[in-house]
Amino acid sequence: MIRIKGFTKILAVSAFSISMAFTATQVQAGAGHSDGDGHGDKMGIGEPGKKSEVGRTIEIKMFDNYYEPEEISVKAGETVRFVIKNEGEFVHEFNIGTGAMHAAHQEEMMMMMEHGALEPDKINHSMMKMDMGNGKTMEHDDPNSVLLEPGKSDEVVWKFSKAAKLEFACNVPGHYESGMMGHVRFN
Amino acid sequence: MNSNNSRLRRSSIVGIFAATVFSLTAQAGTYDISVDKVIIDTGSSKKEGIGYNGASPGPVLRFKEGEDVTINVTNNLDEPTSIHWHGLILPFQQDGVPTISYDGIEPGETFTHNFPIVQSGTYWFHSHSGFQEPDGAYGAIVIEPKKREPFRYDREYVVQLTDKHPHDGARIMRNLKMMPDYYNRQQQTLGDFFDDAAKNGFDTTVNDRMAWGEMRMMPADVEDLQGFTPLINGKSSDQNWTGLFKPGERVRLRFINSSAMTYFDIRIPGLKMTVVNADGNNVQPVRVDEFRIAVAETFDVIVRPKEEKAYTIFAASMGRSAYGRATLAPKEGMTAEVPGLEKRPLLTMADMGMAHEGMEGMDHSNMKEMDHSNMAGMDHSNMKAEGKPDPFYAPGSGLAPKAANGGRFLSYADLKAQRPLYKHREATREIELRLTGNMERYIWSINGKKYEDDEEIRLKYGERVRFKFVNETMMTHPMHLHGMWSILDTGAKKWNPIKHTISVAPGTTVYTETEVDAPGQWAFHCHLSYHAASGMFRRVVVEGGPETSQLQMSQ
Repeated sequence: MIRIKGFTKILAVSAFSISMAFTATQVQAGAGHSDGDGHGDKMGIGEPGKKSEVGRTIEIKMFDNYYEPEEISVKAGETVRFVIKNEGEFVHEFNIGTGAMHAAHQEEMMMMMEHGALEPDKINHSMMKMDMGNGKTMEHDDPNSVLLEPGKSDEVVWKFSKAAKLEFACNVPGHYESGMMGHVRFN
Repeated sequence: MNSNNSRLRRSSIVGIFAATVFSLTAQAGTYDISVDKVIIDTGSSKKEGIGYNGASPGPVLRFKEGEDVTINVTNNLDEPTSIHWHGLILPFQQDGVPTISYDGIEPGETFTHNFPIVQSGTYWFHSHSGFQEPDGAYGAIVIEPKKREPFRYDREYVVQLTDKHPHDGARIMRNLKMMPDYYNRQQQTLGDFFDDAAKNGFDTTVNDRMAWGEMRMMPADVEDLQGFTPLINGKSSDQNWTGLFKPGERVRLRFINSSAMTYFDIRIPGLKMTVVNADGNNVQPVRVDEFRIAVAETFDVIVRPKEEKAYTIFAASMGRSAYGRATLAPKEGMTAEVPGLEKRPLLTMADMGMAHEGMEGMDHSNMKEMDHSNMAGMDHSNMKAEGKPDPFYAPGSGLAPKAANGGRFLSYADLKAQRPLYKHREATREIELRLTGNMERYIWSINGKKYEDDEEIRLKYGERVRFKFVNETMMTHPMHLHGMWSILDTGAKKWNPIKHTISVAPGTTVYTETEVDAPGQWAFHCHLSYHAASGMFRRVVVEGGPETSQLQMSQ
């Protein structure tokens, strides 16, 4: 389970059981939510990696509103540890997925803003836990992404199981269109 | 007239060798602009007008933030002229307004402007003499920033709009004074009367007409100047200005509304636009389907056309009497379908400011708070489609914009500064400015007084003044303060957007705040050309300067 800095303590057990119970709906939504640890590469985007298999580390810096670097190269089967630091003044996301997944996730993040769970420079953690009425919450606890306030850092360990058309992107409203995305090139 | 000057000459004062040696010196560029009589050909009419360097629109001036510019303006007309750099922060003597900044430029003379560029973004320039601007004297300014922009794009275009009228500006002013509805062709007709009577009943319709008659306004008065031809980058819809792109590229479009009197609603069917900059200042990016650009405003948007086909840039005038059209295409000659104009909007009683007396319409107190305890089962598909009413229009206003495709229409409420220019603090003083007017005699004023009948507005260097605009008229007024930024109060506190032109809709009250940090005297006026000329204009005098006060400014 990836710990996201700044969150108030969540009872890991209850959160885990909710995500297990609604696995099917999450996969259908296809919104960048992978279906939990150890279930393999069901969506063709890779799977959460094991720390022991990490081949190398890539540092990603997030600025307003762009990444450094703007493109990364990986080998199929490689496990990469991303160290992500938000050097900007606004909240940013680092999310690995396909263009279609990002588009769907952008709609969700727009809703987060409308509900007040997300402000341009702040994450309202208590609001993120709000049940949207279908068992889903707005929490960002997926292994393929992190959502960070200014100044914060976190990690994503990802296994790029097979070559795919992947992008890393920030789906905070307006950021993707401003160019805050990069291609994952497979060697 | 200097035909050599048809291309903008740029000579660098610091030579190549010096540049390598003195690489830390600020850049300096020299630009030459001639003010000339030109022929403006819209396809449907060929008329004499005024242009810069032999053409209208004039050139796109490209500066760099930090550069020291020298601009030589040569007057080839047989009347005095001037050039005002709209939105630029500079010493007041360089601002180009005759009787306020300087005496103007006599025929045959050359005036040299010299000032540092302290900002970046999209701006424009135009004559501040007589009606030369509506007659064609306008151009664009693009300033490259020192630091990297908070957005990426592969190419950019200036998209500059105007409302070219077959009558010259002086003639239009005379006609409006003589008969204010001279140019308002979209009157409600007898036919309209009988249609309304059949729908609403005879008595209701008569009462409605009489109520409007008493106010001396006609409900169709959204535009008081019609009969114009919208031009985009100097081209009519038939002439069809075209910007090329490669599918998949991000394109930055720098929209500038250089019209005399016309607001435009802009959309590109098939493409969403991400607004990234307003009035030269970056805003937190917001994705929309359509936006309204007031006279003198600028908006920069990023679009990303992915298909190998043409897209139409469609600019419908706010009163829907005319449209401008340009094209984005992978190849010259490709065109896309041009939408038709929708029904013209009619002003309502709400636009008269009567909305407060128990009118139906959105209750804003409820809109803000949402009952979070009851969110289970909330149907999100509805939430997006409805949208929120635009708080910058009177509730029930006939002018409140709706996106033609049912999507999202940009509101001032959506604009948030990407990077505040000033620390957020309480204003030290409030000044109320009632926007007033009398359509029957075509007199436009502030606080009931014309420019020549009223005192100047006096401000103190170092204060933060809050302007309260109360629009007591039925028209929308784009208010422009020279030399200092207008921070629009949208309720976003430190993220309030920083603008130079603020549109105030009928029957509304709008607040802006200005950090008074520019000594000297400045023009402050409605940017509708014939309103400014009729008295909706003031001189602002700033007393004191940096030595006389402490002013904290955050960079």
